[in-house]
Amino acid sequence: MPRIMFRNTHNKRSPLRKSGGSQGSASDGNFTGRNVHESVAQIVRVLDAPDDLVTRFISGAEGAPVCAIVCIAGLADLKMINDHIVTSIQQAYSAFERSESITGQELYQRLDKQFLSVQKYKLTQSLDDILVGVLSGDTALFIDGVDQVLLIGSKQWTGRGVEEPETESLVRGPREGFNESIETNIILLRRAIRDPKLRIDTYRIGERGKKGLVIAYIDNIVHPELIQEVKRRVESIDIDDAPESGTIEQLIQDSFLSPFPLILHTERPDKATSAILQGKVVILLDGTPFALIMPTTIVSLVQSPEDYYERWLIGSLIRILRYTAVFISLTFPSLYIALVSFHQGMIPSKLAFSIAAAREGVPFPAVIEAFLMELTLELLREAGVRLPKPVGQTIGIVGGLVIGEAAVQAGIVSPIMVIVVAVTAMSSFAIPAYSAGIAFRILRFIIMLAASMFGLYGIILTLIMICIHLSRLNSFGIPYLTPLAPSYYRDWRDMFIRAPLPMLSKRPQFLQTKDESRMGSREGGT
Amino acid sequence: MKSFEYGDREVGTYEVFASVANMVIGFGLLTLPRIIVQKTHSVDGWVSILIGGVGAIFFSWIVAKLISRFPKQNLYEIGGAVIGKPLALLITLMFAVYMLAFVAYETRGVASISRLYLFDRTPVEIVSLVFLLVLIYGVSGPSVTLFRLNTLFLPIVIMLIFVLLLMNISHFDFHNLMPFFVTDWRELVITSKESTFSFLGFEILLFYNSILNKPKKAVKASTLGMLIPLILYLLVFLITLGMFGAEVTASTLYPTEELAKQVEVPGGFFERFESIFFSVWILTLFNSAAMAFDVSLLAIEAVFSKAKRIALAIGLGPILFLIIMQPQNIDELQLFAEWISYAGIGVGMVVPTLLLLLAILRGVKGRA
Repeated sequence: MPRIMFRNTHNKRSPLRKSGGSQGSASDGNFTGRNVHESVAQIVRVLDAPDDLVTRFISGAEGAPVCAIVCIAGLADLKMINDHIVTSIQQAYSAFERSESITGQELYQRLDKQFLSVQKYKLTQSLDDILVGVLSGDTALFIDGVDQVLLIGSKQWTGRGVEEPETESLVRGPREGFNESIETNIILLRRAIRDPKLRIDTYRIGERGKKGLVIAYIDNIVHPELIQEVKRRVESIDIDDAPESGTIEQLIQDSFLSPFPLILHTERPDKATSAILQGKVVILLDGTPFALIMPTTIVSLVQSPEDYYERWLIGSLIRILRYTAVFISLTFPSLYIALVSFHQGMIPSKLAFSIAAAREGVPFPAVIEAFLMELTLELLREAGVRLPKPVGQTIGIVGGLVIGEAAVQAGIVSPIMVIVVAVTAMSSFAIPAYSAGIAFRILRFIIMLAASMFGLYGIILTLIMICIHLSRLNSFGIPYLTPLAPSYYRDWRDMFIRAPLPMLSKRPQFLQTKDESRMGSREGGT
Repeated sequence: MKSFEYGDREVGTYEVFASVANMVIGFGLLTLPRIIVQKTHSVDGWVSILIGGVGAIFFSWIVAKLISRFPKQNLYEIGGAVIGKPLALLITLMFAVYMLAFVAYETRGVASISRLYLFDRTPVEIVSLVFLLVLIYGVSGPSVTLFRLNTLFLPIVIMLIFVLLLMNISHFDFHNLMPFFVTDWRELVITSKESTFSFLGFEILLFYNSILNKPKKAVKASTLGMLIPLILYLLVFLITLGMFGAEVTASTLYPTEELAKQVEVPGGFFERFESIFFSVWILTLFNSAAMAFDVSLLAIEAVFSKAKRIALAIGLGPILFLIIMQPQNIDELQLFAEWISYAGIGVGMVVPTLLLLLAILRGVKGRA
């Protein structure tokens, strides 16, 4: 496990100052005391001496400077501390002559150059840094007479292993998914991209949560202004804690008034790496398996990694199928409403007869019928998500029966409506980006409402309004409808269809990457 | 917010092309065959359309020349530089009024036709009101939105026309077109005035100059954009006449819609293609109206620089609604259209020509 040191984004408000737990010299956040006992006492005081705080003093021969270790049991790997830190300190002591009087500085030099067998540590004087480090599992090493403190990475946490992602399953493609540990997630990215220009910029997010956040991109691909903008937005986050990357998403997205996701999230490392390689930026947050991809355009909501793994013909056809699914999921129930209640003439006469016959016993107008069924379906979906897996299946069967058989037999809805609802539901599940699916679900109800008042006219006007809304949206300065409007024809090869790979030899034009070609003739490169 | 190299609030060449094309295509296409045939009584009307189109392209070229002479300046500023502030103010306000009238006409047209082809009971007032509300929503954002909307909708609209024409090709009867060249040439030239009306719309560029990415390319883009309606008009005219013959076309209110009525969807998947046709046609009608509304807002904003866009759009709503409700029947609506067209020829063709001539004579140029 690599130990990663995070830097603070900013310190506008320090929790230490607020809590009032520190006085005297510590109030300025700096650590100047050279006396080990005083320093440790200060830490213990600030933390109010919790049970799991481990403090240990190590002393060598008479007159040798005392060392102290401070860490939190459980967060830090005690075995590692014993095997590496404590042992190396003892070795350092014994390396000096017995009679020699040594200063702390000398001891530190020895430790640093010869003995300390840890992967990574940093020097700090700031009390804040030490506290955050200790509280996230690092070990603080104090040496008498040295005014710096060594913060040694010793995090240990048993999390979930790398498992198959739950939300974005594919038929063909890697089975790995991100998990809650940011270290693992970074490794997953690094294992896929061994480019020396891959940048993993680390931040700490949350005044109290102090979670690690990583901005990952490839330096000589990504547009410099894009990465600047992402960093600017991340640095401006000022919040107590970011429990999930969704919080980050909401804080840095361009507009919070839109139902459409302006930042895509994924559990799949392959999706994240391909985004990085396209010239996009990925954000990882500690404690969540969901990575954020930005900028996002509407086209990417309908794309799935599988499109690229299958041969182009299959990929293209399936993609077209998904566009159809979007259209059906948006408009199918409203078309039913419009046709049945306004434009009966548009239905072929034979079908019109059978619809009329089926609707004969139904006491409600088509609008009520459609809303009833759609609402039931949404309830069913929500219940299915909440319930534990074994019970979820039962709900599926019960709900299916209610929606399918019983409602029709009771004469509440017509069988045609059941078909409409079922097809709509299937279509909405076929959209790869879950957050986009929700947007279309919301809009579906709005279109249904419009259709119930103005028929086709209402549908088309609502669609126009959605288009207006979409063409106003931006994701990190990139218009949401790119590459459709504004048009980038080269990118159309990877929009409605997925052109054969040799034709996709360049990165998306709209991202304005520094290094355009990803195949064949390369200029420069590393 | 910082934009990302691609000028967020600027529009490129293709957007100009699509917007000019979309702005021009509108009601003209639905009524043009009738209006032309009523005057020429034969298929020779295509010459009138051609003359009108070429004339309109010439004037759109003049407009584009004028704006590329004054990069990033709108009509008010150009006028101010060439003929002085007071006159420029007058022209700009006239332009705004003309555009608002155009919005009203377009909205009213949508309402009238949807009563014919979509629903017969919903009152015109409500249908227009809904359209007007969507228009206000559309113009309350930045202008570049509408350009993007145009690039989205133009392919759909062109495709729709081609589907319409292709599906009718089996009904096409060549004998309906005969005889050729029977109309007096003077008649043809006079009729071309009617077709010129259908080519108005390019004058929007007078106000979008400030957001154009490459003003130098505007000339080419707008000329190409004008070619699209010219080609479509000619195609639709010929096919409509080939379908119905001159007499029937002359007595049909919306011949193109009737063309859609003839379509039988293969497989009988649904009937009444004309409803679908008109629903999709609303896309381009909406675009024309929204662009016109937007331009009139820009014109007012140019004069009264303190006016707030959204407040202005909402404030103009009731006035627009009153104008929309003025024509009592189809005849009055057509009279209304005719006035607007004359106004359009005035502010869209004559004024830019004079301005360009004066600018050249006086040697006035905009700052690059």
